[in-house]
Amino acid sequence: MKFIKRLHDQIRPKFEDGGSWHVMHPLFEAWDTFMFNTDEQTETGPHIRDSVDIKRVMIIVVVALLPATIFGILNTGYQEALAAGLHRTWIANFLSGLQLFVPIVLVSYATGGFWEVLFSIVRKHKVDEGFLVTGLLIPLIMPATIPLWQVVVATSFGVVIGKMIFGGTGMNIFNPALTARAFIFFAYPGNISGDKVWVAAIDGFSGATALSVPAGQISQHAVTLLDSIKQFDFSWFNMFMGWIPGSIGETSTLMILIGALILVGTKVGSWRVMVGGVIGLVLTAVIMNLAAPYSTNSMLTIPSHYHLVMGGFMFGIVFMATDPVSACYTNGGRWIYGILIGFLTVIIRSVNPAYPEGTMLAILLMNAFSPLIDYFVVQRNIKKRVARYAQ
Amino acid sequence: MTYLRLKKGHDIGIAGIPEKTYIEAGSVKSVALLPNEFLYVKPKLLVKEGDMVKCGDPLFIDKQNPNIKWASPGGGIVSKIQFGPRRVVQSIEITLDEEESYAQYDAISIADSDRQKLIDKILEMNLWPLIRQRPFNKIADPKDTPKSIFISGCNTAPLAGDNNYILDGCDEAFNVGLALLAKLTEGDVHLAIHEDANSTSLTSNDNVRIHRINGPHPVGNVGILIYHMDPLNPHEVVWTCEPQHVLTLGRAFLTGKYDPAMTITIGGPSIENPGYIKTRVGAPVETLSQGNIKEGNHRLIRGDVLTGKAITNVPYLGLYDTSLSCIPESHERTFIGWLKPGSSKRIYSLMQTYFGSNSSQFSFSTLLQGGKRALIPFNAWEDVLPMDILPNPLYRAILAQDIDEMEKLGILEVVEEDVALCSFACPSKIDLGGAIRQGLDQIVKED
Repeated sequence: MKFIKRLHDQIRPKFEDGGSWHVMHPLFEAWDTFMFNTDEQTETGPHIRDSVDIKRVMIIVVVALLPATIFGILNTGYQEALAAGLHRTWIANFLSGLQLFVPIVLVSYATGGFWEVLFSIVRKHKVDEGFLVTGLLIPLIMPATIPLWQVVVATSFGVVIGKMIFGGTGMNIFNPALTARAFIFFAYPGNISGDKVWVAAIDGFSGATALSVPAGQISQHAVTLLDSIKQFDFSWFNMFMGWIPGSIGETSTLMILIGALILVGTKVGSWRVMVGGVIGLVLTAVIMNLAAPYSTNSMLTIPSHYHLVMGGFMFGIVFMATDPVSACYTNGGRWIYGILIGFLTVIIRSVNPAYPEGTMLAILLMNAFSPLIDYFVVQRNIKKRVARYAQ
Repeated sequence: MTYLRLKKGHDIGIAGIPEKTYIEAGSVKSVALLPNEFLYVKPKLLVKEGDMVKCGDPLFIDKQNPNIKWASPGGGIVSKIQFGPRRVVQSIEITLDEEESYAQYDAISIADSDRQKLIDKILEMNLWPLIRQRPFNKIADPKDTPKSIFISGCNTAPLAGDNNYILDGCDEAFNVGLALLAKLTEGDVHLAIHEDANSTSLTSNDNVRIHRINGPHPVGNVGILIYHMDPLNPHEVVWTCEPQHVLTLGRAFLTGKYDPAMTITIGGPSIENPGYIKTRVGAPVETLSQGNIKEGNHRLIRGDVLTGKAITNVPYLGLYDTSLSCIPESHERTFIGWLKPGSSKRIYSLMQTYFGSNSSQFSFSTLLQGGKRALIPFNAWEDVLPMDILPNPLYRAILAQDIDEMEKLGILEVVEEDVALCSFACPSKIDLGGAIRQGLDQIVKED
């Protein structure tokens, strides 16, 4: 450790103003503070500070993502084996999943890291830690079969258009990882929707996600349809556990809930957004169920507890919607924002026959509206104060 | 009597809590007044180096409000007037005589005098700067009529002194001071004391409304008290006075002399024997801390660790300082510290991102504990601000320099000390208090 520290101290002058590599200072600074906590000092009061910083907060989100990530790797291998009719050990499944997952993660981190550092050097600001999270989120919301060049393009789009052009972490309007996914969804829909992409297997293998099962049928009950599928086990419990096809990280509600507990327990994720989202989803699903007899749309019959474990809702509401920058920043706003995401998820799932997964669009749409919600919450606070003045 | 119990906020568990014993410090040979600690004042000096002054003689006036004069905190010779950048008067130092002489004023009866006469008397005795006002936390304007006067007898700041202990036995002078303040407002004088306070000087006063308060810091801050008891509306002012200054005013009206006595606390992780010191306004910090600081590099702070000023080239206490804090200067760089699970010895955090609970005797240092980043709104600010003010939109309004929006969001009801815990807890290391002062400065400037 001391050796590395001495090395850093030796080469630091080269990166400072006047040094021969001073343009690379943000890169050195990022590496230096990555290895050793910064020794920046307080200048004015408060002279003492809390031990938490953005690095720590971001690493907590990564930790919260780990259960879903590890399960996702395992499930990728498991689905592959299932499709090929193989009986493999867990370890074999895991290693096989790892072979698919690691390249995607590496490409995502490398691409995003490149843009982060480039913008930091050009704009002379510090490399911020937000990409620690984005770089892991992007692979988790992709199917395991995604071509790597598309990961490069999507990550570039998500980081540059979704974040950097607004000024970096803290200034962005949309969640960068979701922006990346939305880009692939609209630019290369064949690689991220339909029933050919969810399982890494031999060409021509067809395996639909749970949500697309009732989407393709009319005038039937969703649960009956799901139970009739023999290819996968679409029972509620199995979907809750996550042994189903889908994007890498989204399938296991159980693992996502563990992540949610970590986020809420550490006060990093807003429980208001999460609880609001579930309330919004459940209420809307109940209303849809009531409307189902008057329509031929089978999606309306999905019970609310099925909505919770199907598709990417749980992953979205726990890890995407709670991104504090693109979400509302007032507590009242967070409730409304969460509830509306739940509401829109069901609406898009049920009423849009072309694309049964609604979470991504629901969150992006609410990202766009979150400043408006905050505006109303702030106005309410102001009105209360003005009313007091008038007394 | 009313009760105010708040839950939001946090009592920082910092080591070196002052013990309730008086420490003997060396005798004070010189004192100073620090003109640039007074916000929005343009000092015009009335003395020059070499002049003889009595304790209580005016040292300078405010150019914008020449009625307001500052009393000399000691009798002796003006030994040094120190100027800073752009000729800012940093300090007026007085070397004390062996036998100090005091400026003597005629004492008048408070009961028989009207409001204006009492104000004139305080001005004449050069003690007006002891009375401050909200909004802005600046020296009160004698031409204003405050809607009420607030005194916080319960200082909840880290390492602050317990007024129940400090004021014990000062019943008479404190009562006279309160009676004086009661005549200065048409409203009430509010005295907030801790729920468990039992000293008769705090609990048995006729001229005031007593509020018993309890809860974590900042419940004892005047700004928080005003917000919950008699909130400020536009164009209103509330006056405030530090309890020991109430005592000073009371003594001045009893004796006709300025007694600059002040009890302060000395504490913090770098102090050997934290405790109370009976000293005086503008005392030199070296005399107060000599022999009481642990070995190594330390930062001395006049005031508390949240809102005090680091002592650099002007080593004296200010007029309003009631504590002296000392924390170690640390340049320690932990190896991949952001990945460590955490322990209560090394980590103190309000967000729960580390294992272990917070120590009640944590050895804080001058480390910023992270790098400055753009604002990312994790409720860290909201969780420690016991007011219905939205700190996040307010911060944005200040950055946008939108005075209208700042006022609508309630900036006039807060000053930096009320949001100091927000700055303490911020993961992005943003100094919200500094930003609030920036906003207030802009409002004063454009007024």
